[in-house]
This record gives sequence, structure tokens and C-alpha cells, in this order.
Amino acid sequence: MTWQTFAFLIVAGTAFTLSGRRFATLYRLMTAQTGKAPEVKDIGKRVQTAIVNVLGQKAVLKDTWIGVAHTAIFWGFLVISLGTVEQFLMTLHSGASFEFIGAGPYSLFIMSQDFFTGLVLLGVLFAAYRRLVVRPKHLGQSNDANNVLLFTGGLMVSIFLMNAFHVLGSHPDYESSFFISKSLAAAMTGLNLDDTAYHGLYTAFKWIHMLLVLGFAVYIPGSKHLHIVAAGPNTFLRKLEREKGMSTINFEDENLTQYGVANINQMSWKDALDLYSCTECGRCQSLCPAWNTEKPLSPKNLIVDLKKNLHTNKPAILEGKTDQITHVIDEKVTEDVIWACTSCRACEVACPVFIEHTDKIYDIRRNLVMMESRFPAEVQAVFKNMETNGTPWAFSPSERANWAEGLEVKTLAEAGSAADIDVLLWVGCAGAYDDRNKKVLQSFVSLLKKAQVKFAILGTEETCTGDAARRIGNEYLFQTLAKTNVDTLNRYEVKKIVTACPHCFNTLKNEYKDLGGNYDVVHHSQFIAQMISSGKLKPQKALDETVTFHDSCYLGRWNNVYEQPRAVLGSIPKVNLVEMRQHHDQGLCCGAGGGRMWMEEHHGTRINVARSEQAIETGAKTVATSCPFCITMISDGMKTKDMADKIQVRDIAELIDSSTN
Amino acid sequence: MNLYVCIKQVPDTETKIKVNGDGSGIDTAGIKWIMSSYDEFGVEEALRLKEKTPGATVTVVSAGPDRVIETLRTALAMGADNAIHVELPETADSAMTAKAIAGTLKKEAKVDLVFFGKEALDVAASQVPQLVAAHLGIPAVTVVCGIEYAGSNLKCKREIEGGSFEMVEVAAPVVIAGSKGLNEPRYATLPNIMKAKKKEVKAVKLADIGVSASDQKIKMKNLQLPPPKQAGKKIDGDAGVQAQQLAQALHNEAKVI
Repeated sequence: MTWQTFAFLIVAGTAFTLSGRRFATLYRLMTAQTGKAPEVKDIGKRVQTAIVNVLGQKAVLKDTWIGVAHTAIFWGFLVISLGTVEQFLMTLHSGASFEFIGAGPYSLFIMSQDFFTGLVLLGVLFAAYRRLVVRPKHLGQSNDANNVLLFTGGLMVSIFLMNAFHVLGSHPDYESSFFISKSLAAAMTGLNLDDTAYHGLYTAFKWIHMLLVLGFAVYIPGSKHLHIVAAGPNTFLRKLEREKGMSTINFEDENLTQYGVANINQMSWKDALDLYSCTECGRCQSLCPAWNTEKPLSPKNLIVDLKKNLHTNKPAILEGKTDQITHVIDEKVTEDVIWACTSCRACEVACPVFIEHTDKIYDIRRNLVMMESRFPAEVQAVFKNMETNGTPWAFSPSERANWAEGLEVKTLAEAGSAADIDVLLWVGCAGAYDDRNKKVLQSFVSLLKKAQVKFAILGTEETCTGDAARRIGNEYLFQTLAKTNVDTLNRYEVKKIVTACPHCFNTLKNEYKDLGGNYDVVHHSQFIAQMISSGKLKPQKALDETVTFHDSCYLGRWNNVYEQPRAVLGSIPKVNLVEMRQHHDQGLCCGAGGGRMWMEEHHGTRINVARSEQAIETGAKTVATSCPFCITMISDGMKTKDMADKIQVRDIAELIDSSTN
Repeated sequence: MNLYVCIKQVPDTETKIKVNGDGSGIDTAGIKWIMSSYDEFGVEEALRLKEKTPGATVTVVSAGPDRVIETLRTALAMGADNAIHVELPETADSAMTAKAIAGTLKKEAKVDLVFFGKEALDVAASQVPQLVAAHLGIPAVTVVCGIEYAGSNLKCKREIEGGSFEMVEVAAPVVIAGSKGLNEPRYATLPNIMKAKKKEVKAVKLADIGVSASDQKIKMKNLQLPPPKQAGKKIDGDAGVQAQQLAQALHNEAKVI
């Protein structure tokens, strides 16, 4: 045994033991989570998404420049790891070289090592330039990140120096394959040392490289760089569809005594894996409406702080001392952080490793509301209104159909049964009670009549879908309302539903399934698009002006409906449709989702004003919306900006109604 | 410490009130019932006091038809320990209600504090708290918007005319009729809602407490809705003309001067 083999056995043994223990602890911590994780199905699709997004780096490449740098580093590390394996093996046994693959292939292998080392070094230099010189706001300052750059940069530099001195000291057969290191070697000849000295330097840099690798292995489990291990599995285990419903709590389960997350260990193992996967790139933060209007919530910080909470409580969790686990609400993750979320899911769209930030927020809200009765004071009236009157606003259920007076709209009770109609029109609380949105419903009814669609409403039998209650965390109230609606809809054997409210749309379509409600639900933008493409509606009157479309989060990011509302607007003769600075899945929320419609905005500037400013920038005379909350919020924003008399905020149904005969 | 809260079930404030066929009361069909919001202050105050007083219990009492049990459960869900349902007919007036509640409380082992709301959201008579106190022979402090407790002594802040306040010192047993400002009533937690569903509600029959139909002093003969609100009228012109026209309108149209 050479001294190198001996030393390596000791150092590598120690490093792998330390690293292995730290990883094992992380694994135990993850599997000690008590919350219910979603089922893992569709393995084929999962393999596919892992290939596309891990090997193909698709999600990472959405941010082009750093995406390219990351892809270079990622692929470089995969290839260079092979060289490191060879290096370790050869340190253990000098004959363990990969040369057995043949001179030609081995030469290629060497070339690839040199090439990717150079590529990674370029990637690291770019990343360092970006982080230390450009300093994008969402990255923040992080010693951990700087350490990771030092490690990765150090690894590459040590490889190059090692190879250069190898060339100088040993003149290997495959010398020419070191096409980068060779140039470095040429520059080093000025040192005028003999072969033994060069060989000594080679050994020194080889050890520096090996120690860096081993040190990094120990460092990684405690670092954000843990993503290199966690992000792959997290991508494989991601929610496959963009459409999703929140998880449904089974209140019949008598063993269930804790609703939502009060302590970090009550999250699921998948939530823990989410925390492990975060590499603090800040893309979520830079797209977050709350963060961008100076609210205390940053989705990045939320994940980082929850991870800290998990680590702080590690001993208590692993020793099963659940009573010693501290509350998930702490000085970092404050109640204000949790209530600032508009559930717009921009963070989830932005995340390259498919972390689901909002689920954590809903789970924490569920505990705060249902277990501890802690929520913004103004929400209590909303809950009470929903409980007694089936609407977040203070209106009587007996007045629910008043908006349709004089329109000759039949209720399903009057129409007979669902078999006698083409589609049920789900009005929603805003359409029923809010004066501005009543007009939207009236326009939509006008369109349905123009297209001779047979439809009916539930009238006073409709009640709030419970979306806001659910987002705020009152799952119990949500289910009470949802069950009432599911009973009514199933009693009439309703098959197809159209609604002008994306929140009702999402709830009816994605969330009633778990409670026995299966319907074909379409948003009115989709329905109008269909009426136009089938020729039932023919927009004729021109709208010779610039129009910009504001994406509703629950239509776009929650349900992938981006094109139909634009197609609808595009069908109006002469209309000039322009996009705002942020649009489609990068769109900025109006500020009303996640129950924020009914909460005061105490921190920072107003989200609806920020969005209205983006609309004003386009020079549009009309902002087209497709959601009752958006129309309210953007209209208010325009009033704040003193633009209410210059820019109209109108629903797409109103615009098409004006354009059709 | 035995704390009692008397609560009334009233129609939700968004209800469109209709008079029943014979004008003896309102049509209760389709009404969503809630706890009178002033009574919620009473429940909250009792619960807060209980939380800082070891061994204290909170009992909620409601008089009315069977449907008031639902409102008792709301109070149980907020955290009350026990509930008593006094079986009172729909038509009962303040006198009968007060006698029934007082009769029920007299049968209890010990009564330290009895909380009410200052008035009910529906008829706003502001009668029952004082009448109950009279029946029990204990003092009543009404329109209370703040209480400091020192053992069995209470310092109550009362809202009085002209936007001013007065402080009243009183010793238990006492009736307190709470008002806005006393506290912010809580929203029940789900575990408490679940527990409340299983709690027993004790029923008290009028015969057991010596109350009969003759205790009802007021009978509704011809209840009417207020006339629909007329549109307001704007008087233009300079101050002199406006004053003149206003005086004329008050004299000729409103007939108040």
C-alpha cells in the first residue's frame, strides 16, 4: 500500500462517513414527516419529465443566460464525475485506470474531461460575475452560495493545474488529448522545474482536487447545494398537471385530530423534499406579486425559513419528542407572511425544480384558521356570511337571482331537468350580488341568447362554491358549502357547466371531484370562443382601439387557459390586442386571489395598482378581463391612478356583446 | 366561578323580514338564524374570564323553540361548557322570557355573573337583562363596553348619552349587558365545533320553573313592516330660501312642526 492509498482510505472513509451520516439524517427527517403525501402514479410521464427537465434542463433554461450556464455546469459535472471516479480508483490501486476501454476511446474520454472542465469553469465564472457583480435582487447575498462557487471553481482550477503538471511531469501518451491543459502546461514551462518537481506538483493538485471533492460531499447536505441530490427526485415526483385542486381533508376520519400544519413535522415527506430541493435561485421571488409590492412574503424566503425550522426541530422530530417541536409560525415565517399570498402560483410556475410553495401556505393557514382561530379580523365576517348566507358578502340568499330579473332566464327547477338544457350557467356570488359583475352576467346571458344556447341557472339554489374559504384555510366551511352544491348539482344530474368566474371554474372543475361532483366545466372565455368558432356568434361591430388582456391566475396559471380569451378578443374586427409587460404564465396577479379579496392590504404598495400601471403602460384604451375579482381590482387600480375615465375595464363577454348583433 | 350567558337566536341581518298571515309575528320560513351579535360579546367575555379563572365554568342559556339549540351549539363551539335550553313559545314577550330565564337560573346551584347582550338584534327591546336581575334580586349594569375584574368586584365602563362613558363598581352576583367594544368575539375552532356537536343540551320546561302563558304581558295583534323608505328631497337655493322651504316641508309634508 502506497502512502497515497493509505491516506486516501482514511480521508475518503472519514468524508464519506460524515457525508453519509448527514444524508441519512436528512432522509430520516424527511420520512419522519407525518402529513399525507400525494400518491405517485404515472411513472412513464414522470420518467419523461425527469429526462426533459433534469437531463434536458428545460425548466432551468427558461431563464436563458443563467440557464445555459447551469446546463454547462450540470453536464460538465456529470462527465467530470467519471474522471473523479477514475482518479479515486487509481489512488486506491494504480492499475485501475479506464485505459482498458482502448486508446481511442480513452483519448476521447480525456478530451471530454478537459472540455467540460473548461465549460464548467466558464459557467462558474459567469455565475460568479452574475452573483457578485450584476447582483440580481432576487438572488440576495449568501455565504453558502459563495462557498459553492469557491468549491466548484476550485475543483475546476485544481483539475486544470493537476492535468498541466501531469503533462509536464509524466509526458503521458495521450498528452495531446489534454487540449486545454496542454496550453496551460506550455505556459507553466517557464517555471523551469524538472520532471520530479512537476510530478510532485501534479500530486499536490490531485490531492487538492480530491480533498475539495470530499469536502464538498460533506458540505453539500447542509447547503442549498443539496439540490443536486434532491431536485432530480423532486422533478420526478412533481405534480404532473398544472391544473390542481387543493388536497381534501377527510373530516370523517376520527383518527385525524390535527388539521393543517402547526409544526413542521406535520407536512408531508414530499414537502420536506421540496425544501431540500430549493437552491435559492429566487425566480419565485422575482415573479411574486406580494414580494414585488413590498409585502413580507417572499416564496424563496418562505422555503428557506421552513427548511431552517425543520433543521432547528431536527432533534425533537427524530427523537419523537413532538411536544418540543416549535410552532411553524416563528419570527421569520410570520402570520403576515402567510396571509400575504394571493395563491396566484407564479412562484410554482417560476420554480425550476417544481417546488409547490402555495401548498405549504394553505396547510399553515388551515391550522391557523381551523385549529387556532388566528386570521385577519376582517375575515370573520366573510366566514359568517358564507356560513349563514352562502356568500362572502352580506346579502340574502333570497336575492341571489335578482340580477336576472327581466332577462327571462329560467332556473333549472323551471326548466325541468338538466337533460332539457345544453349547459348550466353557474353565476357565482360576484355575478349575483356585485353591481359591476351583474352587468357581466347580463352580457353573457345576452350572448347565450344570441347564440340560441339552451341554458338555465340554479337561482336561489346556488350557493358559494367555497373557493375563498378554502384558500383562506377554512376547509370545513368549504366542504360544507361544496357538499350543498354537489348535492344540488347531482340531484339535477347536471353534466355541463359554464361560469364567468375563474374561481368557481377551478373549484367546480378540479375540486368538487373529491366530494362526488364530476362535471364538464368550462369558463365563459372557452364557451364564447367555441360559440364564435362554430359560427353561432359573429363579432361584426369594430372596436378600433388598443385592448390589453389581463390574465386571471385561476384561469391561466391554475388551468392553463391563456389562448381562448385572446382568441375571443382577436375576433372583434379592427381590435389591436397588445400584451402587458407581464402576461400569460408570467402575468401579474390582480391581488384578490387566495381570499385576499376580503383582506386589508396593510403592507407595501397595492398589487392592483401595480397591475393597473402595467396596463396603462401599454397605451390601451380598454383592459379586458375574464374574472369578477380582476375586474373589481383593476377598476379600483384605475381609479387610484386617476385613469378611470380614460381606460375602461371590461369583461370579454361585454366586449363581444357590444360587437355582436 | 359560575358564569352564565343568556343568548338569543335572531334572524340573520340580511333576512328579508315578512309578516306572518295573522300579523302576530314574522314569517319564520326560510330564515337563517344566528346568535344576536351583542350576545356574542357576552359569550366572549365569559370565555375570557373563564380562561384566566381556574375552575370557572361557562353555561349558556337560550329561551325559545327547539331551533335555538343550534345557536346554543354555536356558543358551545366557541368554548362554553354547558348549555340550557328553556322551552319557550315563539310568541313570548320580554316579561315571560325574563321570568323563564330567572326561574332557570334560580334552580342553578350558584350564579356569579350573568352576561347578556345590551339588546337583541331583532326587536331591540333592551328589557330582559334588567328584568332578570330584578327577578334574581341582584344589580344589573347595562351597555357595558369594558370590564376590569378584581376578585368578585367588577369595574364596568358604561356608554352613556352624548358619547361619554361612566364607570360603575359592582360586586358579583350581577347581571352584565354587554355592548360593542367589550371584546372581539372569537371564531370557533374546528375541534371545538366537533366537540360541541356531542355535548348535551339540558332542557328546562316552563312548568318546572313556574312559568305559564299568563306571564306573557304583550300579545302581538297587527305587526306591520315599516313603510318603504321614500326617496330623499334636495332643497336648492341660498341658505334663506333653503331654511324657508325646509320649515314649510316639515310643517306641511312631514307634519312635525
